[in-house]
Amino acid sequence: MLKATLRSFLAHKGRLALSALAVILSVAFVAGSLIFSDTVARTFDRLFASTAADLSVGPKDDLDESVPTGRTPTVPADLAERVAKVDGVAATHVDATVENITVVDRDNDPVGPTTGAPTIAGNWYETERSPVEITSGRAPRAAGEAMIDADTADKKDVEIGDTLKILAAPGSFETRVVGIVTFTTTNPGAALVFLDTPTAQAKLLGGENRATSISVDAATGVSDSELKRRVAADLGSRYDLETADEQAESAASELGGFLDVIKYVMLGFAGVAVLVGIFLIVNTFSMLIAQRTRELGLLRALGADRRQVRRSVLIEAVLLGVVGSTLGLAAGIGLAAGLIELMGVFGMNLKSTEMVIAWPTPVASYVVGVGVTFLAAYLPARRAAQVSPMAALADAEIAGVGRPLRVRAMVGSVVAAGGAAALVGCATSSDTSTSASLLGLGVVLSLLATVVAGPLLVRPVIRVLGGAFPAVYGSVGRMSQRNALRNPRRTGATAAALMVGLALVGGLSVASASMTKSFDDQIDKTLGADFVVQNSSFMPFPTEVTEKVEATDGTGLVVRSRFTPLKLRMPDGKTVETTAAGFGDQLDEVVKTTYAQGSSARALAPDRLAMDRGYANDHDVRVGSVLPVEFPGERKVELTVAALTDNEGPEGPGMQGGLFMGLGTLEKYVPDGQDSAVYVNTAPGTDSEALRDRLDTALDPYPQVQVRDQADYKKLIREQIAVMLYLVYALLGLAIVIAVLGVVNTLALSVVERTREIGLLRAIGLARRQLRRMIRLESVVIAVFGAVLGLALGLVWGVSMHQVLELQGLKAFAVPWSTLVAVVIGSVVVGIVAALLPALRASRMNVLEAIAHE
Amino acid sequence: MSTPASTPHTERAEPSGSAARARGLTKAYGSGETAVLALDAVDVDIARQRFTAVMGPSGSGKSTLMHTLAGLDSVSAGQVWLGDTEITGLKERELTRLRRDRIGFMFQSFNLIPTLNARENITLPMDIAGQRPDAEWLEHVIDTLGLRDRLRHRPAQLSGGQQQRVACARALASRPELIFADEPTGNLDSRAGLEVLGFLREAVDSLGQTVVMVTHDPGAAAHSDLVLFLADGRIVDEMARPTAEGVLERMKRFDVLHGAAADPAGGATDTTGPPGPAAAPADPAGDPPADPPAKPTRDDPSPQD
Repeated sequence: MLKATLRSFLAHKGRLALSALAVILSVAFVAGSLIFSDTVARTFDRLFASTAADLSVGPKDDLDESVPTGRTPTVPADLAERVAKVDGVAATHVDATVENITVVDRDNDPVGPTTGAPTIAGNWYETERSPVEITSGRAPRAAGEAMIDADTADKKDVEIGDTLKILAAPGSFETRVVGIVTFTTTNPGAALVFLDTPTAQAKLLGGENRATSISVDAATGVSDSELKRRVAADLGSRYDLETADEQAESAASELGGFLDVIKYVMLGFAGVAVLVGIFLIVNTFSMLIAQRTRELGLLRALGADRRQVRRSVLIEAVLLGVVGSTLGLAAGIGLAAGLIELMGVFGMNLKSTEMVIAWPTPVASYVVGVGVTFLAAYLPARRAAQVSPMAALADAEIAGVGRPLRVRAMVGSVVAAGGAAALVGCATSSDTSTSASLLGLGVVLSLLATVVAGPLLVRPVIRVLGGAFPAVYGSVGRMSQRNALRNPRRTGATAAALMVGLALVGGLSVASASMTKSFDDQIDKTLGADFVVQNSSFMPFPTEVTEKVEATDGTGLVVRSRFTPLKLRMPDGKTVETTAAGFGDQLDEVVKTTYAQGSSARALAPDRLAMDRGYANDHDVRVGSVLPVEFPGERKVELTVAALTDNEGPEGPGMQGGLFMGLGTLEKYVPDGQDSAVYVNTAPGTDSEALRDRLDTALDPYPQVQVRDQADYKKLIREQIAVMLYLVYALLGLAIVIAVLGVVNTLALSVVERTREIGLLRAIGLARRQLRRMIRLESVVIAVFGAVLGLALGLVWGVSMHQVLELQGLKAFAVPWSTLVAVVIGSVVVGIVAALLPALRASRMNVLEAIAHE
Repeated sequence: MSTPASTPHTERAEPSGSAARARGLTKAYGSGETAVLALDAVDVDIARQRFTAVMGPSGSGKSTLMHTLAGLDSVSAGQVWLGDTEITGLKERELTRLRRDRIGFMFQSFNLIPTLNARENITLPMDIAGQRPDAEWLEHVIDTLGLRDRLRHRPAQLSGGQQQRVACARALASRPELIFADEPTGNLDSRAGLEVLGFLREAVDSLGQTVVMVTHDPGAAAHSDLVLFLADGRIVDEMARPTAEGVLERMKRFDVLHGAAADPAGGATDTTGPPGPAAAPADPAGDPPADPPAKPTRDDPSPQD
């Protein structure tokens, strides 16, 4: 029996190769993402472990900066001398390192990564823990001198003697490059600029006695935790103390966010590949078994029992899984290597030679690969076991086609009802988290229902879709339409592979179109200013920029805004941590806000606060409530709620909860922040185009900010949303590749099954071209069926997702019809491409042999 | 060997020329030492409006003769004409068109496209060509074959005999110059077989068609106007106005002369393709094969054939 299994496996290797490809793709994404994140994690663990000081003394900061405020918390620099006296401390260093700077060259072009990685400026001192060493020139010794890292220097053609301008929070200043440093470890992608310590303190931190942290080296024999205990005993709890291990951990967790995104994206791809692959594998095995019904019947007639038949099919599946996983693991290593190279483009110089393949990687690969194949083959295997010995005598085409779809109809309707209930629940729920989890449940159930009931939909939908075929293509069209209807189960399963991917695309494109439209509507409704000056990634910028704007000829009203994290104790007893905005006076002139109670004038008055009405209701806040508020640096004050807004979307003032206050109030309690946006109106009598030109010129030295009008602002938001769409399109691409394999698979088998029919058609005069067209049309109708089903499901998901978004204030609903039409047209192309090989094969058949074929 | 294969034997006015003819028609499989001759310089003329049967033992080349005359198979040497058109040397595309427009086919089994109903199957060659069938003629053919109440049925809903009648109607529908029937009764019981033969006879006598039938059944051959006997790739004899007994007697002589000895061309037809229903059974005088089980359907629980 085992020999028969192996023979059969090898005999069908062509067909199995397509399934193997699906396994390979899934496993490759799983393995690739694991290898990549392990490699990056180890590289950075090493970097942090080798560069972290034994103990770091930093400012205490309890508040999480979810929105960057441009604030740089500091500690007094003379703390270094005090700590140095603690028993067990070998040495202390003052660190003055900031990331909120921009470095430009003489032409005002930014010198530094354009990929979102930070530009870090700090003070230079000799330590064996530095990640860099001086490779040419010398260290900065006085004001106006700087060193830059070699990678950045190479990329931007900076040489010793060049002048660089550093745009820091306290003000801009020029420096001359006197040295170049080179990374001795992995370059994480950042640009580094080193200054001498007094300059760094004065120009970066805005005060001589300031430091961002104190690095402490332990004396021999003193452990890091012992050192921490002793320093803490001396300093009390006013500062944040972290040992080397703790620093590495927090650095890793900061970096982790970015790496997690890559990891989740990759795992998302793996998930789609697995999901679509399952259909392909189920279909392949179902078809192989249908094709071998007679052979299996013969085996049964010769005395093989059901268990043996089932086992034989499952062994075949496991073989496929093992082969696929092995190749997939290899492909995953390649994929990881590719990603590591790609990181180089972003400035992160990882080394492929240091690739980490930890034991969970191959384990996960084989579990996914073999597990998926085994599961997918289980149903077909059971069906194979049910083949009766009589099948050896029966007509192969009849077997397995006519079985009623009643069970599917029942299961499908029950699951569909569950899915519909969940989606309706999601749509009517008013709580975001309930709504989101109902959405997830609804998506899974409705997908399942569509997959189960798919074959039932084949007849009605394809009758309609292919309805025009007979009229347009005559008999050829009629035969393709009916061929697609011939085995609804097979057509349904083939189309399901395409459906899954397109449903995802449909849903997400509806969601993103709705988001775009909501933001557009919001911007139209609320943005009253002629121009907004801000950073494209919403990073704060130095005050100098605001001053330049104010000084520009033709500028009328200028309203500044900045953000701060804060912690509030609400009347309902809950303590919330959120972000509040601060706005300058005359807010009404630049941002139109609807108030449920109160007005801008009241909201912006000293020690007053405004928030969204809904948020206020949730926390029992009313106008007049006095809320205990904690600002960064443990500044605790009380603010009075003076206004409640009634804004429909997130583009109203403030962030979550819509909290905002007067800029005066914010600056009083958080004096060291930076502006995040400046709203500008044109002065009366000035042409706004002319003002814009002047603003652009004035801000030329500050490449980190841009001037935007309403249209530009919309474009910016769209670009942010587009990033999500690119991901959707990439998923679409992957889903399509696998779905094409599925269609090819089905068509190839159909061609083999219909050999005699094709021979007959050719004998009575069907031209090769017509034969190819017949197969192509069948392929197209299957693909379009999958696309229509997928998009319909996607639309339902999109509507439900919109309900969730609506709770977040994104009220508008939009269906991206052009995208949907493009997807349908794309599915036609998919059908044509998938039919290429099977059609060629069919048209090359020898007529006489085909007629004689059994 | 050259045999005048067509001899007028009825009083009806003879149309000029032949429907098809071949000169020096040779078909070899393989090459060099191992070459096997399936047809050895055959000269043949198929008379118009006649029912010609081709008989011969298995491997005599009778199927190959039909395939080459119909443009389904290429020739190694010689020439073949369909009417005035020389088909040897035609390109694949021209041959396809020729088969579609000028030739009708009936095979032993699997004659119909399972996804199309009877009417669609009948008009298929014309649909493929994008031509409108001659409605009057079509109705006439349908009535002649008694298919009026079966037109909307799919092949799976028809009995074996009904299926062959639909195939016959398809072959007739475009009024081709020549109809080739390859063992058309091979898969039918004797009653259904007789019926199909009756229709072929009818096609010649009342519809004025030309039919060439390959068969191994002397009873079937007896329905023809002329029987050509093939052996070892050559036409060795012919018999006008055949009777079943006469054909059987003639075939028996073959067995005495050739059958027992190892036939050098014996495997020729069998090597052309995998063995299948289209290949004739080895015993020429054997029992007629059983009708395949008619597929029961909702519409047609008991085949009426």
